[in-house]
Amino acid sequence: MAKQPSSETYDLPVDSHPVPQARRIFGLSIFTRFAAETWVLVVVAVVTAYLVLPPLYSVIQTSLFTTKLTGELDEFTLSYYRDMFRELQVLGPFLNTVYFSVGSALLATLLGGLVAWIVTRTDSPLRGLGYFTAFASFGTPFILYTIGWLLILGKAGPVNSWLRVFLDHSGPVVNVYSMWGMVFVEALLWSPFVFLLLAASFRSMDPSLEEASAVCGARVWQTLRRISLRLMLPAFFSVLLLIFIRAFESFEIPALVGLPGDIRVLTTSILLDAQRMPPTYGRAGAFAVLLMLVVACTLYFYFRMTREASRFHTITGKGYRPALIQLGGWRYVTAAGLLLYSFVLLVLPFLIVLWASLLPFYIQPSLEAISKFTLKNYVTAIHFPKITDSIKNSILLGIGSASAVMVLTTLASWILVRTKLRGRWLLDLLTTLPLLFPGIVMGLAIMRFYLLVPIPIYGTLWILLVAFVTRYIPYGIRYTHSGLLQLHRELEEAAYTSGSSWLDTMRRITLPLLTPSFLGGWVFIFLLSAKELSMSILLVSPQTPVVSVAIYELWENGQVGELAAFGVIWTVILVSVAITYYLIARRYGIQQH
Amino acid sequence: MTIKSKHLLIGLAVAFTITVVVITGPRQSVAASVEDVAMMKSADRQKILIEGAKKEGKLMWYTTLIVDQVVRPVKEAFEKEYPFIQVEFYRGNAENLVRRMLAEYQAKRYDVDLIDGTVSPVMAQRAGLLQRFYSPLLAEYPAELKDSQGFWGSTNLYFLTPGYNTRMVKLNELPKTYQDLLNPRWKGQMMWSTSRGSGAPIFIGNVLISMGQEAGKAYLQRLKGQNIAKSTASNRQILDLTIAGEFPIALHIFNHHAYISKTAGAPVDWYAIEPVTATIQTIALAKNTPHPHAAMLLLDFVLSEKGQKVFQQSNYLPAHPKVPAKQADLKPGGGRFSKALYMTPDIQFDKGNEWVDYFQNQFLK
Repeated sequence: MAKQPSSETYDLPVDSHPVPQARRIFGLSIFTRFAAETWVLVVVAVVTAYLVLPPLYSVIQTSLFTTKLTGELDEFTLSYYRDMFRELQVLGPFLNTVYFSVGSALLATLLGGLVAWIVTRTDSPLRGLGYFTAFASFGTPFILYTIGWLLILGKAGPVNSWLRVFLDHSGPVVNVYSMWGMVFVEALLWSPFVFLLLAASFRSMDPSLEEASAVCGARVWQTLRRISLRLMLPAFFSVLLLIFIRAFESFEIPALVGLPGDIRVLTTSILLDAQRMPPTYGRAGAFAVLLMLVVACTLYFYFRMTREASRFHTITGKGYRPALIQLGGWRYVTAAGLLLYSFVLLVLPFLIVLWASLLPFYIQPSLEAISKFTLKNYVTAIHFPKITDSIKNSILLGIGSASAVMVLTTLASWILVRTKLRGRWLLDLLTTLPLLFPGIVMGLAIMRFYLLVPIPIYGTLWILLVAFVTRYIPYGIRYTHSGLLQLHRELEEAAYTSGSSWLDTMRRITLPLLTPSFLGGWVFIFLLSAKELSMSILLVSPQTPVVSVAIYELWENGQVGELAAFGVIWTVILVSVAITYYLIARRYGIQQH
Repeated sequence: MTIKSKHLLIGLAVAFTITVVVITGPRQSVAASVEDVAMMKSADRQKILIEGAKKEGKLMWYTTLIVDQVVRPVKEAFEKEYPFIQVEFYRGNAENLVRRMLAEYQAKRYDVDLIDGTVSPVMAQRAGLLQRFYSPLLAEYPAELKDSQGFWGSTNLYFLTPGYNTRMVKLNELPKTYQDLLNPRWKGQMMWSTSRGSGAPIFIGNVLISMGQEAGKAYLQRLKGQNIAKSTASNRQILDLTIAGEFPIALHIFNHHAYISKTAGAPVDWYAIEPVTATIQTIALAKNTPHPHAAMLLLDFVLSEKGQKVFQQSNYLPAHPKVPAKQADLKPGGGRFSKALYMTPDIQFDKGNEWVDYFQNQFLK
């Protein structure tokens, strides 16, 4: 990637529209490009449809039929929808769900966005900490992360005991089993995702607009509010939408954190339904179908909103490397902020997990407990059945699904952003739907599909790969879509007019410029797939163990210390892989500030 | 499409067909005599089983037991006795094992030979996926620990009792009876799991059966006021939260977990409120077992006193009446409690939904 002369960065944006004449003059290159467009569309559509439609069919079917004891479909019914609407009328769970999802989405976006801005756009010290924190915290198994917070903030935890002494209070001061506890843990869990996506967008910010604003006498925060944030609308929309949906349909945090405090959300009854025999997922299916309709509407309007894609172009033919904002004295504040973020997001939960892993049974942090330190839990963890196979498989799957998803969604985003094909928002919808499939229903659908069709991947790693790729398409698309929206068409047009083929243009112009989003998405999906549980648990075979299932086994049957030891080992491995990848990619891909 | 790629496609299609035929072909022929093998009572039964098992060479066991603690020791002991059989296993929780088995049977894929669990065999039985079997060793077990129709036997037992943090609750303060649990002192001090098979629902089942529907429900209505914290965490984790001091009492946990932690020095112990909820780990034969001879040998082995001693040495509570637990007082009659209410898989299956619903409607706000 060529560096732009710095003098150009002070040019004011003149005209950001492509030159239409170029198309007619260079008819030949346009022709090959259209052929390429069609091919890309066909391939992407077929692959996506193949991955997404069978589970979609299954989800809808599940919501409309009762199941026999043998697992076969029985009778048509609308009762799951009736149950759901009855439940929606009870205000409590519905409001709780809304508070929880809105709260988590806002808090995560605020936290992740602020850190992303400091890391990518300012000259604050300690910026490298942002990436490390995001990787490392996201690498921690989610169950362990949550348990870690429950132990820190619980009634008998260190925070409460310090606050008690400090405030001279008798009962617990902080009650983590509450709405704010749920929002807090969920938002922390998602803030690395926000960080990675927004950092990619901030990196690709058009400096000229900000500089124009600065020239006109605007202050840093005015520029931030009126220029930077508005340009990042697609990226913000992406993170808010994803986290909102994920929180809306999630049951893990509400169950672990909210349920002990009697906070019920819409998914609580779905969770408890799974305890019935034979297990039915009708209500989960109905809930997913309703959410899909809501999301379809949202995406439609979002698509209309970003149709004028040029409004969001920030990478143009002119220099796009954004200038760092000089913070002056504020650098110390931002550095302290980064330290605090890293401490809260990563160090604190990791320390408590490390603490638990070194003890024969859990004792609240105290000097007395140190004398009991033992490595027994690590011995148990290392002797867990097929542990090396599990680690190998999980890493292979992570690399495979991250690469496949990012390639597929880059192409899909290119169609969405660059072409004028009608109904292409349907492709956006198709690539977003897997977000809404309940994991267990999707796992069952994929398992049944490959037991029935003569493609012999049942019981192999391939079936897990297919499942993971399907599951993580929505995340990939959000990364590449918001990344591509920032890329001005004129760069590609320039390549075409110079006689470059579609493939060459993609390889030499589009992909290199998209690198920050691509890498961010890759790492995120890699880390996410290492955690995937609800489908893995159905699709693994004795020959293909994976780590997340091993962690679940320990969670169901092991002691906290054993689970913690396993978690520490796994976090270290994952973070090493992610950081190695990032360092290599940075060396060859992204320019450093 | 070019001619070359057409050839390639045809080639691929042929390859697929061959693969499918090879994969699905020979299975059905093996499954033919499953019932004869399973119900065999002849004098030379053992000899026939061994001969057949030598040809089969392996078996697949779908298990809910913990691999590290007990599956591996059982596998090792069994393979020592029958070196020509390789035991393969797939571990999962009850729902996942049954889901997997159902999906495989729907697709006519018969991998599984044996399935175990506190309810999973009965779930498979109700779906028509189990084969009745005869083992001479079943005669050594009392009626409640084997299926009257011969679908399952039992390997080990679980007892669900309260566990408590010994630093927070003194022995003489403990709520010793169900009535004591209603004492306002315990309001907000207890936690239980939402698990159907070991948490609140089965506790409710115990109360409704042992006190009778009417008295039981009246009792539960009062218990509701105690604001017992609910968690989707496993019983083991809930006990760990009790050890950490989050909640002084874990209302319904596995007593051997408390014993294991106590031995490690944790401030925790268990005690019984009678009748104690008891669940049974059962084991059963799959309807289309591909290795019936080897599977029957493993069934015989785990039911025998020799196999039961492997469970005992692994700190599990053996089902065989003549094999005591390693720590004897964890079983009824061992000195700490005598009355246990056995929740057979059939009761759990038939009544479980009612208990789950009752919990959901009454205890969830």
